[in-house]
Amino acid sequence: MGKKTIFVMTLAVVSIISGLVSCKATESATSYKIGALVSQTGNYAGLGLQALDGMQFIVDQVNEDGGINGIPMELVLLDVKSEATEVTLAARKLDEVNKVIALAEGTVTQLALSLIPVANELEIPSTGISGTALLDNQLGHWFFRPMGSEVDYAFLLLNHMSQYMGISKYAVLIENSGYGQGGKVFLPQLNPNHNLTIAGEEYFDPGATDLTPQLNKIKNSEAQAILIWGSSPTASMAIKQIREMGISLPILTTPAQASKDMIKSFGEYYELQPSVVSVTTKVDIWDQLPADDPDRESFKNFAESFEEKYGHPPAMWNILGATMMLFFADGLERSIPDPSNITEARAELRDALEATKDLNLISGTYTMSPDDHYGGIENNLVLITYKDGQMVYLP
Amino acid sequence: MDYSIALQLFFSGLNLGSIYTALGLGFFVVYSVTRVLNLAQGEFVMLGGMLVVTFYTKGIPLVPSILLAVVITSLAGAGIYRFIIFPARKFPGMTKVFLTLGCAFIIQGIALHFWGWEFRSLAAFFDTPSIQICGATIFGQTPWVIGATLIMVAGLFVFFGHTIQGKALRACANEPLGARTVGISIERMALFSFALAAGIGAVVGALITPLTMTSYSMGLPLTAKGLLAAFVGGITRVEGVILGGLVYGMIESITAGLIPWGNHNVIALAILVGGLLIRRRGILLTAGKG
Repeated sequence: MGKKTIFVMTLAVVSIISGLVSCKATESATSYKIGALVSQTGNYAGLGLQALDGMQFIVDQVNEDGGINGIPMELVLLDVKSEATEVTLAARKLDEVNKVIALAEGTVTQLALSLIPVANELEIPSTGISGTALLDNQLGHWFFRPMGSEVDYAFLLLNHMSQYMGISKYAVLIENSGYGQGGKVFLPQLNPNHNLTIAGEEYFDPGATDLTPQLNKIKNSEAQAILIWGSSPTASMAIKQIREMGISLPILTTPAQASKDMIKSFGEYYELQPSVVSVTTKVDIWDQLPADDPDRESFKNFAESFEEKYGHPPAMWNILGATMMLFFADGLERSIPDPSNITEARAELRDALEATKDLNLISGTYTMSPDDHYGGIENNLVLITYKDGQMVYLP
Repeated sequence: MDYSIALQLFFSGLNLGSIYTALGLGFFVVYSVTRVLNLAQGEFVMLGGMLVVTFYTKGIPLVPSILLAVVITSLAGAGIYRFIIFPARKFPGMTKVFLTLGCAFIIQGIALHFWGWEFRSLAAFFDTPSIQICGATIFGQTPWVIGATLIMVAGLFVFFGHTIQGKALRACANEPLGARTVGISIERMALFSFALAAGIGAVVGALITPLTMTSYSMGLPLTAKGLLAAFVGGITRVEGVILGGLVYGMIESITAGLIPWGNHNVIALAILVGGLLIRRRGILLTAGKG
């Protein structure tokens, strides 16, 4: 046996032993383990890593405050590589090996969607980042979606177009993704309420390079504004291409375009007049909220303590990650399940989550029921525009 | 169809076609010499783009930034050959292909570590403005992509077809025994081909970053597109790579413009794969031939 072979075998044995030791360490039942299915690599790593910071931030806060009735929360992290199949595999591993009490998928709709059947099969209370109400009739008994819905923020965008911009026809540029599907389905349903019609409907792939074929058709349509509906960086790049093509129509966007890194990359195009209008959360502009806004103080505290820890203000996916952990923490506080009996603990947590009432999460206020695992009764979303590299609140 | 929309489809196809041609050139260089499909080629493109953005944002002018990126990426390409492919030179071809795939993941991991997940962008070279022609748009960066691709194509055409060194490189793949007999070091030529392909990749990365942005994860999708474009045309001839790139670009542009519902990328890939099934050795019938 050569020296190299012996070295490789030794390395393998050491790796296996260290793996076993780490598994053993995570199998103790003295904490509430939350399985964090996060894309640390792949196309959506940017969003996944942001969500992870948000999740960890809340878990650390809960633990600094003494945990849940003295029991700490613990994140057990697995990289799902921006792939739906990895979500299923990771969920099974977190069930069998780590005995987690709950699962949270922190990336985008199609990955959250792949968690729903496995969460229901394994009977683990779960949630995931998804901003589309299309999922709400298939959540089952074990999946919850305490996130804003496109119906909520589409209302803001459509209302702004019709009431403040005086627009009657607009074009929509939709991403080919699970998230994009929400826009495709709900916009036509909502348009009549705002006396709006769609003058052009174009689609783009999340990794597309050149959107000029679609944009030229919009340019030649009767559209008076362009609504961009997507969550990938390409949806932000579209703004650059629209302006480079000399199209000066007003542009409105969904929340993902209001992320700090996209503003850094394309801010100069966002600010070209008429400057882009986006949906985002109140947390992003807490300092511009009126002094009597009931959420101003809590958002200020959240934003400042997050920035102190991570060196930047919380972005949308930070907030969504935090939302999921706040949701679980509230359910755990109301049920205090025994983590050593994981099957019963999961069932107790599920029942508690279903009884969530008037819970003010950062993205909105939620009241769940056995028939409603979305439960949004009020959202904290606002419209903003861009100036000098900053978001400007549009009251 | 409106005239300007048709013209826009053509310009977009030309833009995408140039990008895919430029991507395919790196595969052509390595495959022509070693008969290895280098699945790390897209990572060289990513690396080049990332390095140029890094140097440029640190205040180094554009041209020196590109040159620095080309040198560093070429060294990375040579290193991959010397330390990973060369030790496995007697292994079957497929093993070497998988080794290049492993290299791709390693480069991706290193890029994630150093640059993080953020997408990075550059302005069009020298802030070249977009051009409007009869209601259609050519982005300011597109002439740079087309021009640089043409220069690289011409350079490779002359090098492989009309210089002793270029012919020696091709001899390594066509007649390895004969090449060795006349004193050509096949290993040295293979090392050179990896460095050259990596350098071309870095140039491509610099060229396309103003159009596509760059991030640590963009390499593998580019590998898939560049490889397919090269195979569609015929990977062993520069003309094949150009043809494949342009055909791919035009198909993608037309599907994006004319098919109202989504997944244009999948449709374009399906058309190309279908074409390859009918004409398995590429349009020029050169794949697999010397």
